[in-house]
Amino acid sequence: MPQEAQISVNERAFIQDALKEQLRLDGRAFDAFRPLELTFGDEYGVADVQLGKTRVIARISVDVTTPLPERKFDGVFQIITEFSPMASPAFEVGRPTNAEVVLSRILEKAIRRSNALDTESLCIIAGLKCFALRADVHVIDHDGGLIDASCIAVMAALQHFRRPDVLVEGEKATVLSIRERDPIPLSILHQPLCVTFSYFEEGELFLVDSNLAEEQVRDGEVIITMNRHGEVCQIAKYGGAPVEPYALFNLTSLALQKVKEMSKFIQERLDEDAKRRNAGGLLAELSAENDRPFDRPVG
Amino acid sequence: MAPEAILSHLHRADGSATYTHNGYCIIGAVNGPIEVLRRDEMPEEATVEVNVRPAVGVGSPKERHLETLLHSTLRSIILTRSIPRTLVQITLQVRSLPDEESSTGVSPSLLLLPHLLHTSLLALLSASIPLSTTLTAVLIALPSTNTATASTQLLSPTAQELLRAKPIRSAHVFAFSGEGKLLLNESDGTFSYEEWDEAAEAAQEVCCKEDGGVGLGEGMEVDGREGQNLDDWLRSVVRTKVGHEQRWKSTS
Amino acid sequence: MAVDTMIVLPGDEVPQDALPTPTGKKKQLTLGPGLRHIPPSTVASTIVGALVTDDKKVAAWIESNSGRYLPTAGDLVIATVQTSTAEAFNCTLTPHTPYATLPHLAFEGATKKTRPQLAPNSLVYARVVTATKDFAPELTCVDPSTGKSEGLGPIKGGMVFKISLGMARRMLAGSKGGVVLLEALGEKLGFEIAVGRNGAVVVDGGKVKSTLAIGKAIQEVDEQALGEKAQKKLAERVLKSV
Repeated sequence: MPQEAQISVNERAFIQDALKEQLRLDGRAFDAFRPLELTFGDEYGVADVQLGKTRVIARISVDVTTPLPERKFDGVFQIITEFSPMASPAFEVGRPTNAEVVLSRILEKAIRRSNALDTESLCIIAGLKCFALRADVHVIDHDGGLIDASCIAVMAALQHFRRPDVLVEGEKATVLSIRERDPIPLSILHQPLCVTFSYFEEGELFLVDSNLAEEQVRDGEVIITMNRHGEVCQIAKYGGAPVEPYALFNLTSLALQKVKEMSKFIQERLDEDAKRRNAGGLLAELSAENDRPFDRPVG
Repeated sequence: MAPEAILSHLHRADGSATYTHNGYCIIGAVNGPIEVLRRDEMPEEATVEVNVRPAVGVGSPKERHLETLLHSTLRSIILTRSIPRTLVQITLQVRSLPDEESSTGVSPSLLLLPHLLHTSLLALLSASIPLSTTLTAVLIALPSTNTATASTQLLSPTAQELLRAKPIRSAHVFAFSGEGKLLLNESDGTFSYEEWDEAAEAAQEVCCKEDGGVGLGEGMEVDGREGQNLDDWLRSVVRTKVGHEQRWKSTS
Repeated sequence: MAVDTMIVLPGDEVPQDALPTPTGKKKQLTLGPGLRHIPPSTVASTIVGALVTDDKKVAAWIESNSGRYLPTAGDLVIATVQTSTAEAFNCTLTPHTPYATLPHLAFEGATKKTRPQLAPNSLVYARVVTATKDFAPELTCVDPSTGKSEGLGPIKGGMVFKISLGMARRMLAGSKGGVVLLEALGEKLGFEIAVGRNGAVVVDGGKVKSTLAIGKAIQEVDEQALGEKAQKKLAERVLKSV
């Protein structure tokens, strides 16, 4: 199985020397993200994220199914990440690499377990019918920062998606098609976003959003997921060299700043897209859709 | 409406292409020639691997079937003997589908096939994998009518056009090499040999270059609509690409 | 060198009159990358690109700027050492490709007793000796006729910058390549540079800042297809910032 090609000793030494002089190869500040671009597809629920050279596409799709017996009042929500050789020849179909396992675990904790999506709102008839929501994450180009980019893609796609409306009459439920009733947005309780910190020099130096070369030289990484209200959803550190615990406090405040910027950016793009779709203006007045807020702060 | 294509835009893959046509958008990437696993290694030829990733989900037997069709077609044009004991890895990600593709009455796999072929070819060209020739493909749909005449053929129809012409009796995908040889022929539905023959002829006109006949801008009139010659389209895409690469020669 | 801007696709047959005719000493037409011979007398393209001919060398090939580097005999390359066997080092010229071999004795002054010690992932500047489809490519770090390294050998320090295959060709082509950036930079800055046909250039400017500036400038000339004037302007900007 082809391993990810290792960086040469010359490059490794150079990157480390450059960091000692407070320089990153692309001239970024240590706490700066790469240029971020977010575009939406024509259909609802497709978000295309470009973070520097990394590109990730997330797609939300929905189906109707029976709820789990132990969770009668909840819908089903799954996040599927599967790398393909498109992103890197080191990725083999069907054999998850370490990076793939970490990504899927982080997204699971960050988005599903933190209840970013209100699964109760996906219930149609308790115990009988519910919506099954599926988020597919496709990695198109890999230059590091997969976790941060994927989280942005999934959250943006969830906020962009519209699910079919449903008419419940007693024990009978009819899913209305788009022509019968306008589809409605999902009930999103908060927006968790991830910031990956790579550290060097035995925890003395932290970089935000490292590219692939920096990832290969780093001593380890800390991934912090939080929302713009300052609530931390998770902090992950899988192996790597040890770091001082108090350093994590600094990281959390830096992460909050980054998350606020990213949230604002995502909202701006969503608003632009909404405007583009609603170009008529009149459509909004004719719509029977209730105004639903995109998210409500928890607590 | 001609398809649109962007080439060599991905950074990790050796070759890449994003192809958009009739509501379909597919991203293709090619890696190669790269090292091949011992168990897949062939002593005199290159191993070709095709992965089709659907828009939703990770893949079902439908995708495996498409992969088999693509594999045998592409393998016949790749010069595998010039790069033995290596791997040419082709990955296709469906980015979007037209809304109505599941209700047209034509198998979605068949609808997708010509677009997958074009995306694969463009990605292979972008990766400079040695090929013996190029290929072009088209879908022809024959709606149910009382009189089966050539003028009711639908050439490379959009999903909307198929919905309007429902029910569709048979659909055919043809792929031709740059030299005009039939590389792939997949049909679905009920049809007579004559209908198939006429469909094949119409496909060949759309796909292949004419011998001293139709030039650029002149199409053939089929069903009152000007047909697109795919070979010309391919050449114009390639010309743009090479022109872009050679632009340093003309700047001062 | 006659530059022909005939753009070809795989399968296109190159007409006889577009190819140089073998005259005098050279009896045969040499076909370079991207062209293949279909007996008895057809020459067809296998990739997309522009047909280029050289009447002096009686050769023709296709110039293309995308895709992976394919080892060709005579090319200067930057190889990455992976492992060592009893007789040679196993190196890669591009990631995920089968190994190219670099014999232990193919270094200046190397004997069976004094073999060079190269760690995995170290870089060497080498020349491709043979590259056919049937065998692994073979590299060397000496000029076979003189036994001297002539600038080849292990590369210490510096930084690797990726460039397109076309840019690498231009940089190795001297004045015909139209790359005046390095000359312009060299007037004030001192640096060492090794250009590999496999799409990589190693720059060592002594200091991190200057190395980075030079490398990024080369990449900018590549990506923006800067002409000579623009290159000189870029060089001035770089010199000011360093």
